[in-house]
Amino acid sequence: MTRAEVDATLQTAKLDAAELLPAAHCLRFGPAAAGDVCLLELEPALCGRLQAGHSLVIRGDKDEQAVLCSEDKTYDLKVADTSNMLLFIPGCKIPEQLKMEETHSNIIHTEIFGFSNNYWELRRCRPKLKKLKKLLMENTYEGPDSEKEKDSSHLKYTTGDLLDQIQASEEEIMTQLQVLNACEIGGYWRILEFDYEMKLLNHITQLVDSESWSFSKVPLNTCLQELGPLEPEEMIEHCLRCYGKKYTEEDSEVYFELSADKICRATAQMLLQNAVKFNLAEFQEVWQQSVPEGMTTRLDQLQGLALVDRQSRPEIIFLLKVEDLPEGDQERFSSLFSLREKWTEEDIAPYIQDLCGEKQTVGALLTKYARSSMRNGVKVYNSRRPIS
Amino acid sequence: MVQIVISSAGAGGLAEWVLMELQGEIEARHSTGLAGNLLGDLHYTTEGIPVLIVGHHILYGKIIHLEKPFAVLVKYTPGEQDCDELGCESSTRYLVTALIKNKILFKTRPKPIITNVPKKV
Repeated sequence: MTRAEVDATLQTAKLDAAELLPAAHCLRFGPAAAGDVCLLELEPALCGRLQAGHSLVIRGDKDEQAVLCSEDKTYDLKVADTSNMLLFIPGCKIPEQLKMEETHSNIIHTEIFGFSNNYWELRRCRPKLKKLKKLLMENTYEGPDSEKEKDSSHLKYTTGDLLDQIQASEEEIMTQLQVLNACEIGGYWRILEFDYEMKLLNHITQLVDSESWSFSKVPLNTCLQELGPLEPEEMIEHCLRCYGKKYTEEDSEVYFELSADKICRATAQMLLQNAVKFNLAEFQEVWQQSVPEGMTTRLDQLQGLALVDRQSRPEIIFLLKVEDLPEGDQERFSSLFSLREKWTEEDIAPYIQDLCGEKQTVGALLTKYARSSMRNGVKVYNSRRPIS
Repeated sequence: MVQIVISSAGAGGLAEWVLMELQGEIEARHSTGLAGNLLGDLHYTTEGIPVLIVGHHILYGKIIHLEKPFAVLVKYTPGEQDCDELGCESSTRYLVTALIKNKILFKTRPKPIITNVPKKV
């Protein structure tokens, strides 16, 4: 197309060239795009990541809903159809750009790279992490001398293996590994068998007691020296990291501040896992006696781990771990309501907190999945659907 | 499970394209398809209104700065020569070829150009 031809078209169309910017684009379809081309809708933050050269990864099985992951976030990936035609055009300028450049009345020959009537849409979602615990529980670590470790046929997963199996970003997986007190042993991520983890913890708390140390100042080196003959040093240090916070003093000695909350919680789990339910009063007594001297047990340390039933006589408590409950919203609520017909917000919150999206609250979830009523002056929630 | 990487051309290496949104479909005049064919002329008024002349129609539209930009992804499936000795691990990838931050939207009904128009425009 020459300038003359373009001007002729303008004349035919009865458009006044004086009202137009001098430059015009002559659009032509390029050769059929080799290979599939598609559009991915991005939130500005993701756009920034791509511009900085970072990659994204789509993860999913054939029978799963695909997700897209950046280094630290996970998104549901869906195809959005439009009845319109979307043309993607390289080298096409918008008025702002043309006005900034010199005003040549030239023809910009532009080739349309491709077109589509759909695009990929992203919606931020919770990473699907339940599978992580499931995989690592297949082969728990019971210590280096365990028979299991001699048999190399047992499944073990490296970070790369986990990224190949879990629909989540790497950072979300790393965070969850920490929550699970997982340990990287010989390049593989392992969850400790609970009894083994308690054995390590007991070694430490007994040493603290016999040395009369403060729980907030447990010296790493002495621990390794004294307990090294009993257990691998890496495992002792791992246990300290799981149950305390590391810090370095002015004398450049490394210490750990042990968490009473975490230790009391683990002790409770150890007691509760041995029976279906416990008399609450009896449990509280045994629990307090079982924790290291100087630590105080409180029921709020057990959120998401155990549930108290104050409606029964006598009052009871039993183990209920949030990570063992279904991952999907509706399934989680159905499971909780089949366990107990009516819940107070205080009781149910620890069991639905992890379902909350970026800007969702527990209250919003309850409004969506439950119905409220009053019982003895207290607001309680029950299922919207009949539970069999 | 499958992992499909969407890789970026690199820092500073991404071109910026423009999206044009048209109502309905565009049909090729001949049966050979759209490739290589002219679409039309795109003008802008001095006020910045896009004007598209396609065949016997004029369309007026508007420029929209996208709140959510698009990435143009080109699929790349490695060929035989990319397989290693252990067998072909046809790992499909996508390459981010460009970003789109602006779109030209034409959603008003096209106005026909009514006049004696010679066959070749």
